[in-house]
Amino acid sequence: MATENAPASMYRTTEGLGVWEHKGKVAAVGVGHSPTTRRWDGTAENTMGANSIFALRQAIADAGVDPSQIDGLVLDPVTTTGAHWPEGDPIPMDVVNAYNQTDDPLDGIAKLSAEWILKNMPELSNVKFTMYGPGCMSHAIVVAAQAVGEGRTHTCLVLKSWHNLEGRYNQAGISASESVPGSFAMAPGRTLWGAPGSYGTALQFAEYCRKYGKSHDMMAPFMSNSRRNGLLFPEGYWAQHRPEHLTEEDYLNARWIAKPANLFDNDIPIMVSGAYLFTTAERAKDMKQKPVYIINHASSRGTQRSILPTLDEVEAETASTGRKIYEGAGITAADLSFENMYDGFALFHQFHLEGLRYRGMQNGDALDFYQKDISIEGPDPVLPSGGNIGSGRSRFWMHTDCIQQIQGRAGARTITGVKPEIGVSGGPMPMGGNFTVWSATPD
Amino acid sequence: MAILISFDIDGTLEVGDPPGVLTMELVRKTQEAGIIVGSCSDRPISGQRAIWEKHGIAYDFAVSKHQLSDVKAKFEADVYYHIGDREDLDKQYALAAGFEFFWPDEAVSEPWLK
Repeated sequence: MATENAPASMYRTTEGLGVWEHKGKVAAVGVGHSPTTRRWDGTAENTMGANSIFALRQAIADAGVDPSQIDGLVLDPVTTTGAHWPEGDPIPMDVVNAYNQTDDPLDGIAKLSAEWILKNMPELSNVKFTMYGPGCMSHAIVVAAQAVGEGRTHTCLVLKSWHNLEGRYNQAGISASESVPGSFAMAPGRTLWGAPGSYGTALQFAEYCRKYGKSHDMMAPFMSNSRRNGLLFPEGYWAQHRPEHLTEEDYLNARWIAKPANLFDNDIPIMVSGAYLFTTAERAKDMKQKPVYIINHASSRGTQRSILPTLDEVEAETASTGRKIYEGAGITAADLSFENMYDGFALFHQFHLEGLRYRGMQNGDALDFYQKDISIEGPDPVLPSGGNIGSGRSRFWMHTDCIQQIQGRAGARTITGVKPEIGVSGGPMPMGGNFTVWSATPD
Repeated sequence: MAILISFDIDGTLEVGDPPGVLTMELVRKTQEAGIIVGSCSDRPISGQRAIWEKHGIAYDFAVSKHQLSDVKAKFEADVYYHIGDREDLDKQYALAAGFEFFWPDEAVSEPWLK
């Protein structure tokens, strides 16, 4: 069974599509995560593939589903955090041979196919639908939601895994080459010889501050709040390994990476896998956890005129994304209990927030909003998951948090200032991403 | 002679991530010898302070990587050393701030005592 990327027809990329035809007919039930680590330790038991199996089995058990009931699997086959297997480095065949192999020895180590998962999880004996949602969990989620809605699968696992190898971020692979083609090196994060990955966002943020009279220092309460929320996320990297807060003093004294983006505006690459079990609303009723209904998904495919998006382009795209999110869900901004939009890089979270018109905010309002009570105890929680700032780069804490908040399983991170009934999550970039609206009720 | 030593943490001290070769006992002994000691790391400043306090070491400063020149301006010493494991983030910053530099494995023998 060859696994293909999801066709364009599965994404809701434009305004004017009306309410999603499968609104409330798809539900998330089970959640699973592997432990986090900073980097792979080289052992067979701690590969990215091993993490993937662990997370999937956790999600299955969490949902209380017999694995034989599962008929679908959607994942992102790209697992790099920026770390690439160095060309010419020997592949550890003892690790490869510890698992059932595909024809690519790095499968399960530095990339991940659906075939590898199925070969190494014999209990998934009835999976007949596999598809890739390449990019991140936000991508895989909308593909899986649409697949369940369309009846391609009725009980579907959704998986995102990350590998991180020894060595420095983004300094292997093409970054180690003598030359790169065309304008490749000019785009953020592309090579060692190009600018840091955050420089595009930093430029947009600098223009944002100039346009609206704000400052980078105004980000500090948001950063501290996000780390605080992350330390309340037992599945996350900082909670598991270095449970230290990020104070305003810490943030304001960090060195610049691409001014005005500092060290903590950039997330930390880690190894981790996350998995969810999606099913139909009907089947969800008989499962172990409370169903969290998906009432819309929407995608952004913004185009920019030059190498980097301008602030104007970003604001136009995020506003459009916000309209798509609400239109397909049949709700308004006033219906949102909370938001979990993406934050890696931290300096673009406010673009997502303002695009949503969260709590009535308009362009230029978010940094003032951050100076108020944005905690999980207040009426206007911002990023209760803590996102990548709070728990390391997974791009899925925000989704897990939406599910757990609505299921009433967020533990110490539970939102108490507002009843968590409808949440939105997604990303990654303001100019391109995939977004999901989660609800306690199907309608 | 007044000496100031700045320690990187990750990859340098035994409590770092990854652990380095320099023990906290070495740092304690250094501080007790009257040398001005502290940390200069990418870790949050509050996290650096917490490490020193956890190990009962009376540190003199805890700063971010780019703040070595502030340390030099604040503390009067005859010689300033920074010890770290990175060419770009330790050695370059140290030399730019007017510090002398040791790699962790060079510092194990406490060359400042010679």
